[in-house]
Amino acid sequence: MFCYNCGCHLSEHDFCTSCGADVSLYKKIMCMSNRFYNDGLEKAGVRDLTGAINSLRQSLKFNKNNIEARNLLGLVYFETGEVVAALSEWVISKNMRPEKNIADDYINMLQSNASRLDAINQTIKKYNQALVYCNQDSKDLAIIQLKKVLSLNPKFIRAHQLLALLYMDSEQWDRAERELRKCVDIDRNNTLTLRYLKEVEMQLAPDENSRQTGRRKKDDAVRYQSDNEIIIQPLNVKEQKSAGLSSLVNIAIGLVIGLAVMYFLVVPAAVSNANNEAQKTITDIGNQLDTKTSRIQELEAQMAALQTENDTLNQELQGYVGTDGTLQTIDSLLAAATTYLETQDVTQTAANLESISSSVDVDSTSEAFQKLYKTLLGIIGPQLSAQYYETGYNAYRSEDYAAAIENLSKAVIYDETNKDAWLSLGNSYRKSDDAKNAITTYDKIIELFPDTETARSAQRYRSQLAENTAQ
Amino acid sequence: MINFEEELKKFHPSLEVEDAEEAIYNQDLTDAADLLVKMIKESEKKEEK
Repeated sequence: MFCYNCGCHLSEHDFCTSCGADVSLYKKIMCMSNRFYNDGLEKAGVRDLTGAINSLRQSLKFNKNNIEARNLLGLVYFETGEVVAALSEWVISKNMRPEKNIADDYINMLQSNASRLDAINQTIKKYNQALVYCNQDSKDLAIIQLKKVLSLNPKFIRAHQLLALLYMDSEQWDRAERELRKCVDIDRNNTLTLRYLKEVEMQLAPDENSRQTGRRKKDDAVRYQSDNEIIIQPLNVKEQKSAGLSSLVNIAIGLVIGLAVMYFLVVPAAVSNANNEAQKTITDIGNQLDTKTSRIQELEAQMAALQTENDTLNQELQGYVGTDGTLQTIDSLLAAATTYLETQDVTQTAANLESISSSVDVDSTSEAFQKLYKTLLGIIGPQLSAQYYETGYNAYRSEDYAAAIENLSKAVIYDETNKDAWLSLGNSYRKSDDAKNAITTYDKIIELFPDTETARSAQRYRSQLAENTAQ
Repeated sequence: MINFEEELKKFHPSLEVEDAEEAIYNQDLTDAADLLVKMIKESEKKEEK
């Protein structure tokens, strides 16, 4: 202890031996400070942290330079989760005694671990945020926030108390009690904690009484806490005498329940799966059936078209085929040839050939057929042409121009070199006022028989017709 | 019976680390010894007068 006046070391006397200043009151103040420090130290030793804080603050009010009291106060603050308050006390302490001060170690402990300091700061911010949530009546959010705070800093007394208060407000008395018990574990004599705890115990008291009564009637139980869970372990549970029988009954009940589960859950699921697969198969078959049906319809349409074509061809063939299956046209041609060879009857042969040419396109027949047809036509052609010319010319002379044209046309068909027939035909057209066919016929004569008298006559008639037509 | 609203008023925001410096500067460190010394010095001045 040093003199407040000169700074000399004080003796047991009530005055300073150096400057003579009266230090009796000063000594009493220092003693009071030390007494409060001792009291705070004792209370901190039994975890009465609130009492310790009060005593240590009193000690510092008497002597602000009581470094031990200030360091201990910082330590107690730190234990209650009030890190900033603790840091403040240690900083002041270090400022007062820069050397040989344990506060230096405490500060270094915090400052050396940046992540820990950051976590502490986050904890404080979350706590403040939770408080804001409480004021905004967002209690669920506040509870979540406080749980985060306590996971980071489990010794934060104020956070425990606020969480307990929120649980109490929502009448979750068990949880509130759990939080308050944690508070008591940290600080045994916190007035706020004890007041809340009293309220919680009052709320829980009726249940406790009933539980105790129940327990006495039955069996006692061991209750212990593991983390956040309360484990209740019953004691003196006696085995029933008919344990074997009850086990069998239980097994039977279990089997029945299992079968029921199988019947109500597994079997319907299996049936449903089977139905689904069957339905899928049916769908696939239906699709295949549709495809095949459409294919069958397509083939049937093709078949009908082919049948129609076949019928048409058969009908055409029937026209060509005789009763004995021989082609009728060939038969007719052979008959015509036979008739000519046997009778030399040009008229009959010509009739047969005309019948053939009317029923079939001679150019589309076989080469042999055409050769025979043309040979016969070449043999009988000039004779026929002469006959038709004679008939036609007689008709021309009798001014029956229609008959003349008909016969003379056949005459030039059977013998293209029949000049007289050509000229008579042209004249017949001219006389029947068919100028167009007449000119065509005269042109043909001029082309076929140039430099002949017939051609000159044709030219003359043609010129007359042309002049008449122009007029 | 505890009134939540009233109890909530007892909870105040905690000081953040950034605010520690200001809190230290604003702390009143006057103690009983300071008051005693001040009183003695004032009484001495009165006696001198």
